[in-house]
Amino acid sequence: MENTVTQDGIASVLSLDSSSAQPQIIVQVVDLKPVGNRYTFNANDGKMKIKAMLPATLSSEIVSGKIQNLGLIRLVDYTPNDIPGKSGEKYLLVTKCEAVASALDSEVKSEVKASTGITLKPKQEFVAKSASQIINEQRGNAAPAARMAMTRRVHPLVSLNPYQGSWTIKVRVTNKGVLRTYKNARGEGCVFNVELTDEEGTQIQATMFNAAAKKFYDTFQKGKVYYISRGQLKLANKQFKTVQNDYEMTLNEYSEVEEAGSEEMFIPETKFNFVPIDELGPYVNQKELVDVIGVVQSVSPTMSIRRKSDNEMIPKRDIVLADETKKTVVVSLWNDLATDLGQELLDMADKYPVIAIKSLKVGDFQGVSLSTISKSNVVVNPDLPEAAKLKSWYDSEGKEMSMSAIGNGMSPSANNGSRSMYSDRVCLSHFTTNPSLGEDKPVFFSTRAYISFIKPDQAMWYRGCKTCNKKVTEAMDSGYWCEGCQKKDEECSLRYIMAVKVSDSTGEAWFSAFNDEAEKMIGCTADELNKLKAEEGEGNEFQTKLKEATWSSHLFRVSVSQQEYNSEKRQRITVRGVAPVDFAAETRLLLQDISKNNKSSQ
Amino acid sequence: MDTSSPAAFVNGALLRRYIGQKVRAVVQVIRSDIGSVTGKSTDDQQIVVKGSPPPSLTTFLEVIGIAESDNTIRADVWTNFGDNFDAGNYNELCKLANGEFRHMFI
Repeated sequence: MENTVTQDGIASVLSLDSSSAQPQIIVQVVDLKPVGNRYTFNANDGKMKIKAMLPATLSSEIVSGKIQNLGLIRLVDYTPNDIPGKSGEKYLLVTKCEAVASALDSEVKSEVKASTGITLKPKQEFVAKSASQIINEQRGNAAPAARMAMTRRVHPLVSLNPYQGSWTIKVRVTNKGVLRTYKNARGEGCVFNVELTDEEGTQIQATMFNAAAKKFYDTFQKGKVYYISRGQLKLANKQFKTVQNDYEMTLNEYSEVEEAGSEEMFIPETKFNFVPIDELGPYVNQKELVDVIGVVQSVSPTMSIRRKSDNEMIPKRDIVLADETKKTVVVSLWNDLATDLGQELLDMADKYPVIAIKSLKVGDFQGVSLSTISKSNVVVNPDLPEAAKLKSWYDSEGKEMSMSAIGNGMSPSANNGSRSMYSDRVCLSHFTTNPSLGEDKPVFFSTRAYISFIKPDQAMWYRGCKTCNKKVTEAMDSGYWCEGCQKKDEECSLRYIMAVKVSDSTGEAWFSAFNDEAEKMIGCTADELNKLKAEEGEGNEFQTKLKEATWSSHLFRVSVSQQEYNSEKRQRITVRGVAPVDFAAETRLLLQDISKNNKSSQ
Repeated sequence: MDTSSPAAFVNGALLRRYIGQKVRAVVQVIRSDIGSVTGKSTDDQQIVVKGSPPPSLTTFLEVIGIAESDNTIRADVWTNFGDNFDAGNYNELCKLANGEFRHMFI
């Protein structure tokens, strides 16, 4: 009968001598599992089990569900081989086989009288199971973890891509996010992600939703090492990229996560890329996060700050870090880092501990400031050579030294964002020689230039709503209607939107300026300038005002992007900030440039 | 006074190179007497400026005149430079103007 295993099939195969023909026997497939791109299983004939291996060519039959675990197959062509290193024990290398029946209810065991044989009805429904489902089912009779690990081939994270089928990685969870709930158009759900690092230091982010999130949230613990397989790879969303990897991973309920308990294998601890405090300048207000290491000079008490977005109060603590560049910087710790870690640091403040922090945001408060974010990672007195060097420097020199804050090097200015007037400094030629700047996303620069021309007959302003500044439309009767506020106002305010030409010693360019920045450049509000324009009579004050603004120099913070005009891409430079020229600071920049040019030409 | 040649930018260390020649320097006023002003050069050396200083002096002062010795200038032109002046920048200027960019100045 086709629905049973061949009685004593395995015994007959093993007792074969080389001359006799190979019988085609039917066996039940049990313990089916993948090894690399092939599958191994135990062939069961009810009495005996023998290890067996299927060729890679048949893997697709398993994945498609034709050959199933607990199902029956007919071995057509096979070779019994000795298992290397285990004399006496053989395994079957199957070269050809056919699926005979789908998964039976359980393993075949011949307990009943031999005469009637055993008739087990295969399951009525043919459920096409994916290989991962089969694996999960036979987890019940899973081999102990140690044996699994030995047969597992671990892939380096750097080799993973969306087109590779089965892989297993061995990684440490270097960061674990919180389980968040969300609500979107499709419904509600929960999500969390983890940051994984492998032996080579490569990192990747793995995200889990809903069922998978619930399943693995307690499994993953920061600092522990896991084997993971059956995750899905896709291109990382550059906007939310948190680790250096082109891909990101998603794990679902069928993904496998197993703690690598008993083995010792070196997985690197958090990989830091330290920026010395005096080199933090260029990172101010940039998206890129930095890592720093320094000696804790002081710890402030906990403060409560009201978050603007939801009026919630969150704890914050400021600490001052110093390093061998003889500069100090303030690091703001938020939430748990402020309360727990902050207290820890306060308690050991008199020992001047060294701390290393990964993933800090660089802001421009008081020149240069650092701030923790949810994924920031702090290690106190880390076991790193940099830490030892810092400690010995501080004990010998640093303690007594009076150091200056990194933000102080630059001249003070009342303007917001004037600090960023010194980062990413370029000349106008940088824009003219790079027409495709800002192709993917806007790029920011600072520059010093003269306003060289303001066209008097351009539309310099638009009518804006007094409340929300959006453009208003003229109402039928009188007054103005704001679509955003959904109300009418008798008056509106004029707001600048103008194009100005700027020049410097390297070239010229056109900048677009909006209200706040244009006001600083012209020296009066749009309403005031409009009044001057409307004036009749001899002295055209309007023209004079524009003339006065021309050939004045300013520091500009600009963003460069690409805009389409009649299917043609054009560079658009928008002014984001204006500040008066600080001549002493500019001179210092020029002196730096001169000495840099000398070094390169030597 | 020889008015044909341009005045060389000097600090304390460079003054001795131009003895008898026209120089200009910015000094920080330390003491002012009748007929002379004692000032600190941008490289922190003492320079005595002889002549007729203006009645009121700001913190920084530019003088143009003839270098009499390695620490004295007889000045004809005195200009108040105010109280905010970056001495470090001026010092670098002196070094560059007498060094590799000399050809642009003298």
